[in-house]
Amino acid sequence: MNLKESSGPTLVIPCSGIGKVHGLIGREATYEIVERLAPDITDTLCLALLVTGDEDAVAKVRSHSCVTIDGCPKACSQKNVEMAGGQVTKAVRVVDAFKNHRGAQPGTATKLSEEGWTIVHEIADETARTICGDATGGDTQHVQ
Amino acid sequence: MSNEQTLKVGVISCSGEEIAEGTISRLATRRVLDLLRPGQTVTICLPLFLAGGQEERDFARRHPTIAVDGCSKLCAKRGTEMHSGPVNVSLVVSEILNGECAECSRSAKSQSEVDKEAVWRVSERIAAEIDALLAQNSQAECGEESEAACACTRPVPGGNLEIGGRTVTVAGLPLIFEHLAESGLAADDSSVGKLLETVRIYHPIEPDEEQEYKSSLIEAYKLYRGKP
Repeated sequence: MNLKESSGPTLVIPCSGIGKVHGLIGREATYEIVERLAPDITDTLCLALLVTGDEDAVAKVRSHSCVTIDGCPKACSQKNVEMAGGQVTKAVRVVDAFKNHRGAQPGTATKLSEEGWTIVHEIADETARTICGDATGGDTQHVQ
Repeated sequence: MSNEQTLKVGVISCSGEEIAEGTISRLATRRVLDLLRPGQTVTICLPLFLAGGQEERDFARRHPTIAVDGCSKLCAKRGTEMHSGPVNVSLVVSEILNGECAECSRSAKSQSEVDKEAVWRVSERIAAEIDALLAQNSQAECGEESEAACACTRPVPGGNLEIGGRTVTVAGLPLIFEHLAESGLAADDSSVGKLLETVRIYHPIEPDEEQEYKSSLIEAYKLYRGKP
């Protein structure tokens, strides 16, 4: 897909990993982007739908820009989007955000501490800036 | 493979990002793993069936499995059966709550008492299904725990109490304290009844041990709240 041909909102798709706090951070960063920071130009999609090969979900990721937010290096969200034929324009890894927060106690897989919310805001702000830049004609950014 | 190992039930949540019921399925599943049935359950991230390897895809063949879906699309059930193995029980959050989740929210930031109640109801239902499955499989042999069940899905540590001169471990005690603290339970002697009543739901307490549990629990709770 040529991203210049894509239409509609950018899909922000987190892994929502259930095992660690990183999954919750990615999930909450997604809601921060699609509900608060860039609600007019972003949306989210159930990753589980892609796992089942749902036709509508597959068609959606193939026709929209996709930003994935993964909690761990297994990169489930990025891999599932790519397997469905979608193009990931930005692949965010929550673990990378921890490099600036050595020793942080971000909370648990179900509840974030203040430090956890700080990391959520940082990821959401940076990702939203990238998406907004793309939406206004900026260069497509590939972050691996 | 070891026949002596305990049979563990797999619980797989859809975690659907688009709807509040997906958040409830995720939180209820974790509550079961951490608090209600620690040591009897394992989980795996659903997307890992495609992103992972054979170990991950063997999950449902190694464990009797419960799928917890947010909506009638049944992604957790269908995804598990497509990529791993048969599902023994299929639960749907919207059906369990009978439509009473209209006010629930997707984000943890805006969670209310309604959300917490929904999570409690769904997790209690999952726990009941686990008990039924374990009863059915009580004679079944269970293989070695799959490496796909990552370390982070293991039960949270319990809390130790001194009862009758011995150390007793109460599974999930820190989470029980966390919940009670969130509910506003004071860290003083007036809370001892509520503490006993709540812990008793998850941990057997004989009538003749009540006084010792009361003393030990209130001390531990005060310590947890930073008011020893």
